[in-house]
Amino acid sequence: MNADTSPGDFESRLKPIWLRAQAGDAAAYRLCLDMLSARLRGFFKRRLAGLPDAVEDLVQETLLALHLRRGTYDPSLPVTAWVLAIARHKLVDLWRRRGRRDALHDPIDDVAEQLLAVAPEDGGARRDLDVLLRELPPAQHQAIALTKIEGLSVAEAAARTGASESAIKVQVHRGLKRLAALARRDDAT
Amino acid sequence: MRTDTLIEILARDAGPATRALAARRLAPAALVGFLASAAVAVAILGAIPATMFASHIPWTKIVYAGALALAAAWLTARLSRPAASVDGPRRVTLAVTVAMAAIGAASLWAEPAESRLPALLGSSWKTCPWSVLALSLPALVATLWAARGLAPTRPRAAGFAAGLLAGAIGAIGYSLHCPEAAIAFVAIWYTAGIVLAGALGAALGPLVLRW
Repeated sequence: MNADTSPGDFESRLKPIWLRAQAGDAAAYRLCLDMLSARLRGFFKRRLAGLPDAVEDLVQETLLALHLRRGTYDPSLPVTAWVLAIARHKLVDLWRRRGRRDALHDPIDDVAEQLLAVAPEDGGARRDLDVLLRELPPAQHQAIALTKIEGLSVAEAAARTGASESAIKVQVHRGLKRLAALARRDDAT
Repeated sequence: MRTDTLIEILARDAGPATRALAARRLAPAALVGFLASAAVAVAILGAIPATMFASHIPWTKIVYAGALALAAAWLTARLSRPAASVDGPRRVTLAVTVAMAAIGAASLWAEPAESRLPALLGSSWKTCPWSVLALSLPALVATLWAARGLAPTRPRAAGFAAGLLAGAIGAIGYSLHCPEAAIAFVAIWYTAGIVLAGALGAALGPLVLRW
């Protein structure tokens, strides 16, 4: 994964996998999120030198945002440009929430904006999404716990709870949206 | 929770990404906004006589506002999509406005000098922009809500585009009530109302387009 020598290499490796992920290939999607999370961590580390404990939180928030809004990806664009725009948006959002207005003027666009640096997960997240998951409405929490954590299929989760399969899918989606909102609010305190 | 675990959670059963997400969110918002503005224009302000639909009077406004609505919808969709270029829709939006201004100016030129000012001001120039703005409010709520579910990374610009879209929709509704005949009137006062809605959207964007 460290073999890329230029930004174009990463993009050309990522894009075909990403397109498969967009079409519904879960393994390809997992691989993309892995590749991207390592680089998002590098991206945020360089920009949050004064807030090292916020890095992993922001990686997780950006992954959630990417996931919830992946329908806005346009195949004519480089995946990295789309991801970077969202990562930058999350960074600016963090600064605003932390009241660091001055930081909004940091020349974040001047730096070579490529997702080149790979950083392994080390410190872990300050905010615990497990705790936030328990704050979700019970139906949403249960749908996520059964399908995403226990690993049941949607059909099995539907059979277990008596809800329809589409209701399970809706609850999972709403739950993740709610989780992203809770994560933002949690950070403001 | 470790990030690896989060990735597991997101990727499991993720399914395909929604296609044409922008259109799926913006089209119903525009439709709801249009129905609301048309309902208010007809039921509360009062509709123009049906015979007027045989003239150009409502159609000029509907075609202009409709073209502007399409251009603004395109602009909103692009601004709600990270890293997408907005050059195309921005040029088209500007071109529609400039073309209407040019047609308005030409039609005014064709009038005798003494009837130019009355044509330009009509009988309702003071209320027209505000009525367009008022009729665009339901559409503004809907288009901002639609944009919020996409991914606008420039909230002020996206709010402005969503406001223009709402303003153009409000103008279509208002044309069902407005009896003004001069094209120059439409070019100026309708545009003013639509831009007011855009300004309101730009003011609201940074507040509501957070995600």
